[in-house]
Amino acid sequence: MINTILIFPIVACILVLLIKNRTFNTWMVNIYALLHFIFSIMLVWGKDSCLSIPYFAVDHTNSIFLLVLSLVYLMVAIYNTGYVKNIDVPDRRISHYSFMILIFVLSMTGTILSTDLGISWVLVEATTLSSAYLIYFNKTKHSIEAAWKYVFICSIGIAMAFVGIILLNVSSGDVNSLNFAQLYQHAASFDVSFLKLAFIFMLFGFGAKMGLAPVHFWLPDAHSEAPSPISALLSAALLNSAFLVIVRVFKIMEIADCTSYARLILMIMGFLSLFVATVFIYHIKNYKRMLAYSSIENMGILAIGLALGGVAYYAVVLHLIGHSLAKASFFLTSGNVLELFDSKRVKSVSGLVSADGKSGWLWIASFLAICAFPTSLLFISEFLIIKTMIADKHYILCAVFALLLMIILFGIGRVVIKMAFGELSEDKAKLIQNTKNKVSIWMYVPQFIMLILVFVLGIYIPECINQVIKLAAGAF
Amino acid sequence: MATGFIILFGLTMLYLAATSRIIAHIRILIVQGVLLFLISCCGAEHTNLFNLIFLAVETLIVKSIVIPWFLYKVLKQTHSNRDVAANIPHFYCLVISSIVLLAGFLVSNYFISSVKMIAPIYFGVSAATIIISLWLITIKHKIISNVIEFITMENGIFLLSLSVAKEMPMLVNLGVLLDVFIAVYILGLFVNEINKEFNDLEVSHLSDLKDYEYND
Repeated sequence: MINTILIFPIVACILVLLIKNRTFNTWMVNIYALLHFIFSIMLVWGKDSCLSIPYFAVDHTNSIFLLVLSLVYLMVAIYNTGYVKNIDVPDRRISHYSFMILIFVLSMTGTILSTDLGISWVLVEATTLSSAYLIYFNKTKHSIEAAWKYVFICSIGIAMAFVGIILLNVSSGDVNSLNFAQLYQHAASFDVSFLKLAFIFMLFGFGAKMGLAPVHFWLPDAHSEAPSPISALLSAALLNSAFLVIVRVFKIMEIADCTSYARLILMIMGFLSLFVATVFIYHIKNYKRMLAYSSIENMGILAIGLALGGVAYYAVVLHLIGHSLAKASFFLTSGNVLELFDSKRVKSVSGLVSADGKSGWLWIASFLAICAFPTSLLFISEFLIIKTMIADKHYILCAVFALLLMIILFGIGRVVIKMAFGELSEDKAKLIQNTKNKVSIWMYVPQFIMLILVFVLGIYIPECINQVIKLAAGAF
Repeated sequence: MATGFIILFGLTMLYLAATSRIIAHIRILIVQGVLLFLISCCGAEHTNLFNLIFLAVETLIVKSIVIPWFLYKVLKQTHSNRDVAANIPHFYCLVISSIVLLAGFLVSNYFISSVKMIAPIYFGVSAATIIISLWLITIKHKIISNVIEFITMENGIFLLSLSVAKEMPMLVNLGVLLDVFIAVYILGLFVNEINKEFNDLEVSHLSDLKDYEYND
């Protein structure tokens, strides 16, 4: 089954390049999304015995990442059906666009499923290269700037991660393998000083991909300039795959008994991310950049949760699910706003609720989900993280954490409320008369489903999902 | 023998720091590719034939023919011959690069010599190469020079992977080669696109996306 998930997109890519028809290409993306979703569910819950092929496998750690990726990709594909109809470009470019989406999702799936650090590295780099075209899709001056920064910073970051892998190879002594299982098995005998050096390089390398400060600079530019479905994929799926690699490397540190060192660095990077997000969100002028900074904030929370350990692992998994769903919904809705108002400036948007009720309320609901309003899933995860901090007697950290989150909440809330309510000026109203029919039904449904999931999971997590989450948290 | 080649490799970085003509930088890439091939041949007694062929293809064909040829094509299309206005005069570039290189030698000889797995001289030169490349990226003004320094950094990492006494798994090597190759290709395409869009290759054009004074 893993074979099919990994081979189907390659076949689909060839078909997409051969048949340059807009409807066909969009449906190819949709078919892969559906197939990905069904197969992921079967891989995680099915009784299928074939859970591994050479270099790729489904295990306790990555099954939840796989499920989140599938769900987000399915939702983005549904949205994409409506979105592609409005793009005014030749079919040839839509075919390239679909091709790159397929390659992008393929490399993310590969990163998540791979059981070998080397293969993960190769595929993380592949995600950079495939999504670069997607960020540049609009072909404006700004998008080329964003794409250039993205490729350059992430390539250098990933090159640094490779230095880390070489150093890990040095520290591992006689173990000549990068297979995670073998690394875990022998980690206790690794050379500690080289392992620590390797961890720094890998954390900065994959952290650049994940969007942790201080190596986050590509993220706001790339997220704000990419087409909205791509922003959603970048934020809700790509960052998670890089996080998975960090989790796996962190486990090596744990077994090699360098935990306190690794935790300290993760904690510093996590709080730095929160701080950067706070500073920039407070004066934000562009609402898509605001969402990007919110992603940095949430990645920071994941890093802090990982650094805390214990109950926080469970919170990290919950936070990952909640953030992916809520942020994907937020980015997709921002795509609607962009279609309606034709501007990314906060200043030019107001009266969203009266202009288009559905988009307006989705915008507000996404905000409530991301700012951890009960019963959002993020409420539980953040609550658990704060609880762990207090239980571990990190009172000052806890206060700083809560304060930074509160300022971010205020920053986002101010912008969201300003955009959602307020007066709708006459020329804007005229503009919206023309643009409103661009937003089809497909561009509301996915956000609605994801938000329902976030808010329902906050109250009740079905036993089958809870089992997967517990296993993942246990395997961290 | 290998030591001589490695020292030559380190010296190419000094040349890169001290010159401003981009065509000379591309020639340096060819020299580095050939040197890497010679270095990997010197340390190749214990490797098998397949690995040797792979290394030859990687260093000779990709690093010293395909990538420089591609960059040369980009250079001709974009008509940018010099990276004149570097932030720091070339003399100081040379001095700083020399200091980094020297520090690489010293540090690796003092601290790494105790570790059996890696040869100090490889480690020192490759670390110095990576640092000099990263530093040059920050001070150069033309984006095509940035791409060239990115490749020298990758060469430094390649040298570092040669310094480890055991080999990386084959599949990883292949993947790395493929990724670097595509990365250079994509960066080259972007150089062309940027040239079309801005009629110039100055890095300073690419600083419009900001948080405070945002122009939509």
